[in-house]
Amino acid sequence: MTAMKKSNPVMKALTSSSRIIVLIALVLIFSLATKGVFFSYKNLVNILYSVSLIGIMVCGASFAVLLGGIDRTVSGNAALSGAIIAMTILNRGATGGNVALALILGLGGGALSGLIHGLILSRFNIPAFLLTLATNEILYGLVQMVTGNLLIYIKGCTLMDYIGQVRWLGIPIPVFIMLVCILFAYIVLNHTVYGRQVYAVGGNREASELSGIPTRRVILIAYIISGFMGALAGFVLSSMNQQASASQANGYENNVLAAIVVGGVSMRGGSGSIQNAILGVFLIGVIENGMNLMGVPSIYKDMVKGIIIIVAVAMDMANQPGTPLNNLKRRLKTKQA
Amino acid sequence: MSEKNELLFEMKNIEKIFAHVHALDHVNFDVRKGEVHALLGENGAGKSTLIKILTGVYSKDGGQIFMNGEEIEINSREDASEAGIAVIFQELSLVPTLTVYQNILLGKEISKFGIVSDKAEKAQIQELIDRYGFPLKTTDVVETLSVAQKQMVEILKALATDSRLIIMDEPTASLSSRESELLYKIINQLRDRGVSIIYISHRLEEVFNLSDRITILRDGKNVGVIEKEDIVPSEVVKMMIGKELSESTASRELSTSDAETALEVRNLTHIGYYNDVSFEVKKGEVLVLTGLVGSGRTEVVRSIYGADPYDSGEILLNGQVYKPTVKRSVANGFGLIPEDRRTQGFSPLLSVTKNVSLTSYDKIAKGGFVNAKDEDDLGEKAVHLTDLRPANPNVQVGDLSGGNQQKAVLGKWLTRDLKVILIDEPTVGIDIGAKDEIYNIIEELASQGVAVLMVSSDIAEVLRVAHRIIVMREGRIIKEFNHGVATQEDILLTSSGFVSEEEAA
Amino acid sequence: MKQMRQETVRRIISLVLLVVLTGFFIATTDTFLSWANITSMLREAAFVGIIAIGVTTCIITGGNNLSGGLTMGMCCMVFAHLYKYTGMSLIMLVLISLLAGLAAGAFNGFVVAILQVPDFVATLSTGMIFQGITYVLAIRNQYGSITSEMIKNQTVASWGGKLPNGIYYVTIAWIVMSLIMQFFLKKTKTGTYIYAMGANRKSAEYSGISYVKIKMIAFIIAGFCSFVGAMFILGRNGTCDVTTGAAYSLQAISAAVIGGAAFSGGRGDMIGTFIGVMFLQVLRNGVLKFNMTTAQQAVISGIIIVLMLVFDAYYNEFMQKRTTRAAAIAREKEGKGK
Repeated sequence: MTAMKKSNPVMKALTSSSRIIVLIALVLIFSLATKGVFFSYKNLVNILYSVSLIGIMVCGASFAVLLGGIDRTVSGNAALSGAIIAMTILNRGATGGNVALALILGLGGGALSGLIHGLILSRFNIPAFLLTLATNEILYGLVQMVTGNLLIYIKGCTLMDYIGQVRWLGIPIPVFIMLVCILFAYIVLNHTVYGRQVYAVGGNREASELSGIPTRRVILIAYIISGFMGALAGFVLSSMNQQASASQANGYENNVLAAIVVGGVSMRGGSGSIQNAILGVFLIGVIENGMNLMGVPSIYKDMVKGIIIIVAVAMDMANQPGTPLNNLKRRLKTKQA
Repeated sequence: MSEKNELLFEMKNIEKIFAHVHALDHVNFDVRKGEVHALLGENGAGKSTLIKILTGVYSKDGGQIFMNGEEIEINSREDASEAGIAVIFQELSLVPTLTVYQNILLGKEISKFGIVSDKAEKAQIQELIDRYGFPLKTTDVVETLSVAQKQMVEILKALATDSRLIIMDEPTASLSSRESELLYKIINQLRDRGVSIIYISHRLEEVFNLSDRITILRDGKNVGVIEKEDIVPSEVVKMMIGKELSESTASRELSTSDAETALEVRNLTHIGYYNDVSFEVKKGEVLVLTGLVGSGRTEVVRSIYGADPYDSGEILLNGQVYKPTVKRSVANGFGLIPEDRRTQGFSPLLSVTKNVSLTSYDKIAKGGFVNAKDEDDLGEKAVHLTDLRPANPNVQVGDLSGGNQQKAVLGKWLTRDLKVILIDEPTVGIDIGAKDEIYNIIEELASQGVAVLMVSSDIAEVLRVAHRIIVMREGRIIKEFNHGVATQEDILLTSSGFVSEEEAA
Repeated sequence: MKQMRQETVRRIISLVLLVVLTGFFIATTDTFLSWANITSMLREAAFVGIIAIGVTTCIITGGNNLSGGLTMGMCCMVFAHLYKYTGMSLIMLVLISLLAGLAAGAFNGFVVAILQVPDFVATLSTGMIFQGITYVLAIRNQYGSITSEMIKNQTVASWGGKLPNGIYYVTIAWIVMSLIMQFFLKKTKTGTYIYAMGANRKSAEYSGISYVKIKMIAFIIAGFCSFVGAMFILGRNGTCDVTTGAAYSLQAISAAVIGGAAFSGGRGDMIGTFIGVMFLQVLRNGVLKFNMTTAQQAVISGIIIVLMLVFDAYYNEFMQKRTTRAAAIAREKEGKGK
């Protein structure tokens, strides 16, 4: 069985490091192709900045994917929280208390949306991809209704100005927020009972159930985390832009999915790590940035992303016995031998 | 008469070797035209290997196969069906959303330019249905049919391809008695029309009634072919078990027969699964529920654990009425080794340590955070307690051998303070060495005062570990054997329906 | 008693919803029942409907297709691009657009059946690729930014036309294609195989039916539908922009699901999808009369889809429980075996 090879610790290290090797190779290629511009401190910071939102979302959505589900509402939740925060501040003024209220409402809105998804998905056997595809449309519809489909400018909010504009050590604050989220996801997944339960339920729900694990609650919490992280990303995005729009973050869910899949987190659940998912975020960020620097028109980026997802999943599937690609691989191997 | 005895199908000196072990050792097997030929043997005797070879799932390592006297090669399912061999599967292989006639003719439609002639198809299938008098309509959608009707569609599918040899593997396992009667009638009809049938069933009574001949396999060898008129049930059972073993009896006695009762079940009933089941398990006792698959044993155990509901009756734990839920059971010192370890026992991608700790976060975590050292210790402890190999708690359980996977599942519970352990078919698909180790673990548990309730179909295993044996059939307790009085024949005859309830009582 | 099939139940529910909704709008608005409104509704429904034909076929094979609308956009742009930048004849333009649609379908089939990428992820990704191609081919002004330009051609414009009685050609195409497809699914070998593959892949493969072939056929049909939709969109709009068709994929899937197609495969047909498309269209048209925004429509149709999904899951669970229970009670009554 191929699963055996994959789980061998040596092989594991190799597959995860193969992504690092690809990343390093890409960095080298882009650095050479851009005569060093790519590798400048400024550009590296740029990359970090450009991936920070996706990074935050991945920290949430990874929980859903590890459970064998998926959460495409990270973008809708971001739009929703951005709109709620902007509208609250617009209507009530940017005093400290109101900003706090706006944050509670915005982030709470994301968590509530996650709760609803969690309730449905933990109770019913519905493909998460499809459900969140539909609910994401609902969320964007709601946002349009809240904002009246207008750009809402956020003025005079010290906290959001700070997040959007101040740099520490030349690094924008959103990058630090992403790092905190990564740390959070890492600690939860690796050092808490809940994290262990996520892997267990993702790997074998029935066995987990019989071991006394509250599987429904595990799924529920995962979607709450995902909803919250999406909302947090929306807050950061609004801080960066000083505004909220009805189409805010639209399409980011594809980037999130791409990053997670490219990072080697299995869509079947139970295997993968947050480190790898983040590696996927950086791989895609580097590719996008490199293409930008090399003057590749932005219209090609979606195509490249689509191809990357297909290749990543196809490689994952080719390790499954019985698939045409796996058969081909085996045939090639026997021919060589 | 000579026509009647003409051979249709013959397998000569069939060999199949798995990992240097002869799964089939020069087996000869033949089927006459228009004969119902039963294949008997205990689990692991080689029946399913033989069937898989003659349907092209496995390829043989030696020997020859003849159909109508001509040697044939069967390397795929297509080869088998070309040769006129069809299998009626236990898990039905029909398309649920298509109609009866569409299913029967799937892949062999009557069509012109790709357009199917429904009229011609329906007429052809109607004729087939009429010929056998099955209670089916050609336009019924398969998912709306009963299990028995689906089986009939499968049989018709086999007949529509002019199959001359139909294999039925435990066809009555999920049928009611009336449906079974109907199936027997159908089988007799098929035989009268010259179709040959290989019949596999654990229900000896029906086997003896139906078959013209039986072939008995034991340890991959053909140990006897018996004509209908020569069948003596007890002799057949002896051949299945092997004489040298038949003398062994349960000889283990409970060291402290006055031990307290840990678990008691009173009149437990789950309608349609088991009925009026009562027994008790003492501390330190191993009670085994045996009987055929589908006799309700697993369901009883799962209800006690809280994984399935029950309708009436009560469960007592240490004399107190106990209303089980899985969570409560884990907290109260229950453990469960489930029937199918692959789908219910472990998470294949997780390490031994992480699988083992799933049940013990109350011990190794504080405030929601796992104490890594305690967790590692727990993994080490599980490896040590079960003598897991490789002795590495960081190996993924999916990569272990069957026996060691089962040890990892045991490890989930051994590391806890167990009071009652429920063990369901612990050694299916496990090699002999590991089996022994698992028995030792069970005995060790019992000697520590844990009440053990085990389900097993492997009679040698039952006699090896049980203090007491309860035989179940069709959801009821048929007979209880105390230590030292049961023989393999007793148990086999009781569970396969040869000792009636009245006799047993 | 015989168990009602899931698709039958769903068909009844969607029909009742359609009738109730239509009745509601007829009663509350005075323009709903006008011939002009009916024909324009049927026209709008036809675009989604044509895409939904292909999507339903993919769903019946046990898959899905999120790229239907984007494939349509791509076919449209291929046509517009070649029209603007080359002097090809109309026939060549149509043929090349057709080829683009079929190729997109074949590519989907390749990714799903050969590369074994799950349908959802696969068609999401290929959709991104098709959309990228649309952008690459987009018409640009002298400053290099994307514009849309009218295709000033009588023949193309005539595709957007209608019969003297007011029914648009696209509506007729939709209905004719639905009927042909219904015939294809129910009366041909390949159609039967499509159902068989979706409902029980193993059994279909044992019967000698090729998974790759069936998937390919379904996706190529979907690609063809996208092409047809694209030609009519050109006829209606006389132009093509980069977002053309993007919204149709999801609407088409919703329509199929409302009409009784199930993602588990083997269920659904053109009549159900037709009802589903009409239901969504009546909803959209009716709420317009109530001055609802597109946002509110999106929310309402989204909620309906979610309710359908939950109902589906609940119904399946309920039926399974009931069947097991009934079987158990039957066993109990007869006394199992002997």
